[in-house]
Amino acid sequence: MENLKAVNKRKNKLGMRKKGFIIAFLAPTLIAFCVFYLYPIITVFVTSFCKWDYTNITSPEFFGWSNLWDNYDYIFNKYPFFWEALRNSTTWAILGAVVQIPIATLIALALSRKVKGIKFVRNVYIIPNMISTAAMGIVFLQLYNPSYGIINPIIRLFHKDFTDNILLLKGSAFVAMTCAYIFFTGTTTLMILGNIMAVPEEVREAAMLDGASGLKQDWHITIPMIKGTLKTVSVLAATSGFLLYNEVYFLTKGAAGTYSISYIIRELAITSPRTQFGRANAVAMIQILAGMVIILVINFVYSVSFKKEKK
Amino acid sequence: MKKTKSGRGINSMPAGTRIVTYICLVWALVVSLVPLGWLVLSSLKKDPMARPGFQLPETICLDGYISTFRDLHVLRYFGNSLFVAGVSVMISVVMISMSAYVVARMEFKGKALVNILLYSTMFIPATALTYPVYNLVNRLHLYDTRSALILIYSCSGIAVSFFVIKNYYDNIPRELEEAARIDGCGYVQTWVKVIFPIARPGIMTAAVLAFLNNWNEYYWASLVLITREKLTVPALLSTFTTAFNTNYNGLFSAMVIIILPPVLLYCIFSRFFIEALSGGAVKG
Repeated sequence: MENLKAVNKRKNKLGMRKKGFIIAFLAPTLIAFCVFYLYPIITVFVTSFCKWDYTNITSPEFFGWSNLWDNYDYIFNKYPFFWEALRNSTTWAILGAVVQIPIATLIALALSRKVKGIKFVRNVYIIPNMISTAAMGIVFLQLYNPSYGIINPIIRLFHKDFTDNILLLKGSAFVAMTCAYIFFTGTTTLMILGNIMAVPEEVREAAMLDGASGLKQDWHITIPMIKGTLKTVSVLAATSGFLLYNEVYFLTKGAAGTYSISYIIRELAITSPRTQFGRANAVAMIQILAGMVIILVINFVYSVSFKKEKK
Repeated sequence: MKKTKSGRGINSMPAGTRIVTYICLVWALVVSLVPLGWLVLSSLKKDPMARPGFQLPETICLDGYISTFRDLHVLRYFGNSLFVAGVSVMISVVMISMSAYVVARMEFKGKALVNILLYSTMFIPATALTYPVYNLVNRLHLYDTRSALILIYSCSGIAVSFFVIKNYYDNIPRELEEAARIDGCGYVQTWVKVIFPIARPGIMTAAVLAFLNNWNEYYWASLVLITREKLTVPALLSTFTTAFNTNYNGLFSAMVIIILPPVLLYCIFSRFFIEALSGGAVKG
């Protein structure tokens, strides 16, 4: 009996120590989570229902239940740039999943083959992704410059008298901005390539015996095997497309119909002389919800399309 | 069957596949080299306005490079970036490798919740948190200090580091810890002396990815810093378009210099970067 008690006591002491260790090791990350994510999200949610702008900076004021949706009403019905920004951001999100990912996959497949000089191409292709998107934004700003860039001379081959700045024309500004980032898929390509290389050699050999080689083999064997990675990178590409900010800031500052959701949040909350914190946070709530919708949609698309494949 | 026919050799593939492969490879080279090549070319022209596009310069002009180092003090901004990115990576990686260990190896109440909370940060758009974070920085009296950026960078990007490191822990055999415990190591000792050194490759991967992100980060840097002397490299860029006015030679040279360090670093350590980004499956 005595002995058992002693053992129990020691176990208890050990348990306490273990508990202390767990708490001590988890605490820093959890504090960081609360500081940077939890507290801000709660603030965003609560104050999106508050009158809070440059007139009452220190004391947000709850609208009351009857006027609960005032900020959202303003954003949807009165704020002139919201729908434009939402349309643009959504388009960029879709382009991320349907343009960037196929390009990244095709290049990853090409890089997975045994060709002379393949390492060189692979290493070079990552370089633009090592540079900040802010710097790439400025590089493209110069490329698009009508007086010394390289885009206008190319356009002049087809339209002789073209002297406009393509970043100031509606439509072409959107396309130009998209081209400034969409083709740089280096890191995504590398993640996909890592997965392709991890496909066991026996699987390929079996497919070869069945007469499937090259792209045919990739389509029927490789792609289904790496669908998990493809789904993850699709979510990442779509999300980062939806959040586009740097390109907008450096190339057009929202001119010619190129506002993005991130851009209007910052404009409402910080840049504008009449800051509208409550309304900015209402847009932020919409951005958070849209992020969830993106994840759900991509998950749904992937589960449906790969089920079909199996049949 | 010969090794060369193992399914990846280009010569054994159908003509269509070969053509597509070569198109992809050429495309990859064009996309990544043309903009940067043009940038370097333009930086060597005395007046890029006079010889636009891909025209070669009449004489090679290095004035812009000289004045970038002399007048712009770029080294100061590199120092700022290095300081902010370095310190925040150290904080976040140590912090996360501690928590990831607990989550990977111990059973406790609320483990699932911790997992979900940390995972969810991957999908919370940082820009949505603009004003609360900005407000917090102000209230802590950190506005326009490098500490504010260190705080933000240490706390953001938890999810990626957490999963990279936790994955690595999952692959370390449990016997190692048990042996250490039998030798009389406490929990903390076991982690410091046994687990941390073994997990170093995984932790380094997370650190490299985080450093790259922080080095290139523009959104927060331009939000919380205004004093020119404190700016990080990306934040400095937004002053470029006005600072150089019509001195295009200076502008192009400064941009080349700004872009160079990460590219050089990559060229030296490309093997390391590539293994880190591809999850170790691609050898550099």
